[in-house]
Parts: sequence; C-alpha cells; structure tokens
Amino acid sequence: MIDHIRRIVIVGGGSAGWLTAGILAAEHSAASDTGIQITLVESPDVNPIGVGEGTWPSMRHTLQKMGVSETDFVRECDAAFKQASRFDQWVTGTKDDSYYHPFTPPHGFGEVNLASQWRALAPDQPFAEVVSYQPHLCANGLAPKQITAPEWAAVANYAYHLDAGKFGLFLQKHCVEKLAVKHILDHVRGVKSTENGDIESLLTDGHGAIAGDLFIDCTGFSSVLLGQHFGVPFISCKDTLFCDTALAMQVPYPQADSPIASSTISTAQKAGWIWDIGLPTRRGVGHVYSSAHMTDEEAEIALRDYLQDFDGSARKISINPGHRKSFWHRNCVAVGISAGFIEPLEASALALIELSAAMIRDELPVNREGMDVVAGRYNERFRYRWERTIDFLKLHYVLSQRTDSDFWLDNRKPETIPEHLSQLLELWRYRPPSRRDFHELEEIFPAASYWYVLYGMGFNQDEVSQKRSDDPVLARQFFEENTGMAEKFIRGLPGNRQLIDHLVRHGIYKI
Amino acid sequence: MANIQILNNVDHKNLRVIIDHSAEYGDNQWFAPTFAHEFRNLQNHYPIVFTKNPDTGQFQAVALLGFEVGENLFLTEDGWDAGYIPLSVARQPFLIGFQQNREDGVVVTDPVVSINMDSPRISETEGEPVFLEHGGNSEYLEQINSLLKLVHEGHELNQAFVDMLLGMDLLESFVLDVELNDGSEHRMSGFYTINETSLRGLTGDDLVILNNNGYLEAVYMAMASLSNISTLVEKKNLLKGI
Repeated sequence: MIDHIRRIVIVGGGSAGWLTAGILAAEHSAASDTGIQITLVESPDVNPIGVGEGTWPSMRHTLQKMGVSETDFVRECDAAFKQASRFDQWVTGTKDDSYYHPFTPPHGFGEVNLASQWRALAPDQPFAEVVSYQPHLCANGLAPKQITAPEWAAVANYAYHLDAGKFGLFLQKHCVEKLAVKHILDHVRGVKSTENGDIESLLTDGHGAIAGDLFIDCTGFSSVLLGQHFGVPFISCKDTLFCDTALAMQVPYPQADSPIASSTISTAQKAGWIWDIGLPTRRGVGHVYSSAHMTDEEAEIALRDYLQDFDGSARKISINPGHRKSFWHRNCVAVGISAGFIEPLEASALALIELSAAMIRDELPVNREGMDVVAGRYNERFRYRWERTIDFLKLHYVLSQRTDSDFWLDNRKPETIPEHLSQLLELWRYRPPSRRDFHELEEIFPAASYWYVLYGMGFNQDEVSQKRSDDPVLARQFFEENTGMAEKFIRGLPGNRQLIDHLVRHGIYKI
Repeated sequence: MANIQILNNVDHKNLRVIIDHSAEYGDNQWFAPTFAHEFRNLQNHYPIVFTKNPDTGQFQAVALLGFEVGENLFLTEDGWDAGYIPLSVARQPFLIGFQQNREDGVVVTDPVVSINMDSPRISETEGEPVFLEHGGNSEYLEQINSLLKLVHEGHELNQAFVDMLLGMDLLESFVLDVELNDGSEHRMSGFYTINETSLRGLTGDDLVILNNNGYLEAVYMAMASLSNISTLVEKKNLLKGI
C-alpha cells in the first residue's frame, strides 16, 4: 500500500507541538524502523510566551506514559504541585468570599445526595470543605503526598503549576533524545498541495520541501495551516466570554523558603479576574479582562494593587476567545491555540492539548481513505468539548451576584448565555447535576466539577420531594469520614514547599 | 533532644549498661534497621524487607520484628527469643557520634563512640561495666566497639547498595496481607522486596558488579528471609492465644 500514514509533520514548537510530538511518538514507536516518523518544524526565532501555566491531573499520566521522570520534570520545568482552584470574590466581591474547586471528587459522590444533605446538615460550612479533604490541605499549604511516595503517586489527586517556556524545552529534549522525534529549525514559507487539495509538503528556507502524510498545526494564534492555508473559519465566543486581554507578570517570593500555594488563586476584579500561580522560584500573576469594560491602564492599576505595588514589568497578551469551526481538515489537524483559545479560568489549555493528541494517537488512520472518517469523529468530539468548556467557564460568571460593574451585569444577560447551559441551569434549579447531564466517556468537566462551582457559588436549589438518596445517616457518615481523612492527612503530609525542596534536592524514587 | 555524650573513662568511669531485653528498655520496636552485610546473620530469624524512611524518603533495609507500631514479637518474659539479635538493637545505648578534629590544619570529621545517657539501660548498679577499675575498656565495651564499627560501615554503604538495586530494577513494592487464626486480616503496605523476575533476568556485567560487591549474596539472603513471615504470624497467633 502506497498511502499508508507513515510521516507526521508537526509545525510549531511550543507546549502544544512538543506535547503532541511526545504523546504520538511514545505510542507509535517513532524510534523504530517500522514505526511512524515524526518531524517537528519550528521557526528559530519564536519567543515562548513564558507565563506560568496550570495543568490538570491528567498531565501526570500523560508524562508518565511518555517515559518522563517526575523528578526531572519538576526540576527542569520549575513545577509545583496544584490541588485545586480557589475562587476569591467571585460571588459577592467581599473579602471573605472564597470557595475551592478541588481535584478530588466529593467523598460519597453518587452514593447519596450530598447536595441536599449538605444543605440540611452543614449549611454554614462551605460545600467543598464538607465533602472533600482537599480544600483543607490547600488551606494548610500542604503537599499532595509524602516524601516516601513514588513518582506520580498521590495521596490527594494533583496536577502542576509549571513554567510553560521551560516545559516546551524539557519536552523537546525528551522527544528528540528518547523518542526519536526529528527536530527541524526553519521557517515555513509556504505549502505545496496535492491535486486533491491535501497538503503534500511544507516549503522551508533551508530544508526544502518537508513532505508528510498528516500535518499537525501547532502554530498558536497564527494558525498557519488550518486557519491561513485552509481558511477554516474562526468561531468567536466573545459574546459569551468577554475577556480578551491579559497582563502577565513574574513576581519573586519575599524569601527563598516562602510557602508555595498548592491551588491556583483566581481573584475576581471589576472586569475580569487575576490569576496567581505558585512556582518554586516565583509566582506567575496576571490580570485577564474585557477590553470593552476596562482600559489597559485601569487593568494595570488593579494588578499592581493586587500585588501591593510590586513594580515589575507587565506583558500584554491579546486573546481572541473562540475556536475554529472544525479542527481536522483534509490531512491537517490543529492542536493548541491554533485550534482555539479562551481565558485560562479552569486551566483547560494544556488539558485540551493532551486530549487532542491522545485522540489523534488512538484513532490515527492507517491510510488516507480512513482519514476523513476519523476527521469527522474528531471534529464532532472537539466541537462538543469546546462548547462544554465555554459552558463551564460561563457558569462562573452566570452564578456571580456581583453588581459593581457592567461587566458582571452584562455577563448575566440571557442572550450571552449558551442555550445548552441555560437549559441545564433550568433543570438544576430542582436537582443537582447528574452524570447523565455529561454523557461522554472522557467528559471535559464532569458533573462533580459543576457541583463544586454551583454550591461554591451559592446556587439556589429547591429540591421539592424527599427521595431515598436523601439519606442523612449515610451522608453524615461520609461527612465524618471526610473530616477524619482531612485530619489524618493534615498530620501526615509535608508542606508543599517542603516536598518540592526535597524533590529538587534529593529526587524521589520511581517505586 | 536526647542526652548524647562522647564516651570517656572519666565521666563514665562507673557506668554500667543493662543488657537485658524488654519493652521497658525500649525494645518494643516493630522493626530494626539493618544493612546488606548483616543479612546473612538475620535471614534465619527475621523477614528482611525494604522501606522508606519517612523523614528522608530514602530506602533502608529493615528486619521485621512485628506487624504494628510497638509490637516486637520476639520479646518474651525471658528476654529476646531468637538466636541472633540485630546489631542496631544490640548496640543500644551506644551509637556512633561525630567529632570535628583538626589534622594538619584541616578539619576532619571522625566517628567516635557515644552513648545516650537518657536510655533506661544506663545504670551504676546493675548490668555490664563499661570500663575496668583503672580505666581500661571492659570486654563488653570491646564487643560494642567492633559492633559499632560494623554498623557504621554498613550504613555508609547503604546508599550504594540501594542505588545498585534500583538501577537494576531489583526492588518492587509489595503489600503484606496477614491472616491470623481467628480470621482477622491485617494489611501492611509501604514495603519493598527483591523483584525476583528482574533478578532472574540479570546477565553479564550487572551480575558481575552485584557479585563483586557482595550484594548478590545479600539479595538472595533477603529473598530467603521472607519465609520468616510465617514464623512471625505464628508468634502473633500464640501471643493472642488463637
């Protein structure tokens, strides 16, 4: 067969490009003669954005499967452990307004109606703290595991905060040295098409035409292949998610041994919110806002207020929130920002890259004939995932009770809320989100995530009838077990800084 | 902080050490740290496993004495019921301390015999004398000296031993499920043992390196020692009268 898929060419060398390369190469034996050849072409003078980024717990499995050592990863990517997102001032805007969205699902989830019983038995305590031990670990600045735990293992489910620039370089080294990914530094000047309109090769300055069977566009905002070459339209979601600008800063710690927060802290502002990510050597802090509701000057003042007049320089990043109408077109698929981008409120960017690359890996067609079928499935799946991501981010804005600016008022106007989300919110007035509301096997935000946000934000639910699952005895048992676990883990776990320092100095064992 | 003193025949002239074994002397420990070159002596009596030190995260080899904190199944009313007592127990209350000395202008750290004066074994009326009447070492102290030397050398080599095992993929985690005669089940986790599949697959240079260091013998001793787990279970059944 002449048209077997044997050569994959990835364009762009940021996190998206190298993650995709690693995920594909690890499975498709790029290092063997009979495997698939993977080439990554990147421009020699692209600046990595270099802001701190958050991952999801899926990153542990992704990296482990690539054959990476967690010790090396943490050391080289300036990574720290992340166990939750904490949302401050999102509900009313007062100083004590704060809730957690932890990575561990509620204890007893699905066994009993925890929502109705939380309202009945512990209405004065935050929902997440009643059903999950993880907010207690975060509040105490604790690590998600002991120093005796092997690599990747967890006591409490965890993800990472990392330096995106260093992460790209780390993956590059691993992909090139261990996974036989071919790395070409060159400018892509044009595309040569086949008769049927597929991409035949990429035309470069110094390496001539680079031919391939499948091309993966990881070129970021410029979307060189999918957007520019194929002209696949962009669907903006700016009418739903207004944030379109970010100001990012790197902030040093007061002392070398200052605690490292083990949650991403998101503090709502007048026209957006501020992220605060703790890396071992510094914090990454940024203000994401709607330029229609706030000027750059106002945004910068708010950011400096948050940082108590820290005088470092801020970098402005423009965001065009939305995604491409389709992602896989002919023999080209876009992964990462070239496929779409929205504000990092739930750190979905890297997670979507992992999911994209994993689907390409698992469903890679054997030949060109099968590719259109796979492309159709891929587009359907990722259209769904983008829509659910937008729904979930919008939920944070819809549930806010803030009235201190047009930004918050506009966010609750019905015409800005996606219909799918409106319908669910109507159902949830009388019952909690169920697994059937989110029926995909790898649902991007599972029902448990909706629980944490809904009940964290004081969503008013009126469950009219009493059911068997509204069992106070069983619920109380789960709540007490959760308290017990929290106490036990607080006694046994080291500080987040302590574990990271230990890991950096001594490493942790694979077993 | 424990009261650790460097041993000398002036301050400790009349010192005696109680060498009996019982819980009141601190012997109710459920494992004893050990090292590769002690495995041969231990393997006939105790299961030898590996665990991570909760303070340092580093691997250490231990002889199991019981199944839970505070339980030493070898302690009886008549003392320690086994033909061999682990060196880390037998050395009590002595330990190796370190003293900084200046030699030709260079600061060197020398190991020195020290003693934990807080130990319940410390006495002036019972037990073994440490020094002779005129200040010479007693036979007991001579024994302790050579024993401490072994322990010290063993622990110096521990890291190299563990690194070699890990490098050859010779350790694997295991969960110890113990069922007693009354049907009660106890699960112990956090232990590691020799990965026998990896060991059987070793060839060439790895095998030579392991053998040259005397570690190959230790590896087989550790494997053989696991048969003592059933002895421990029997002792536990006996203790509970079941």
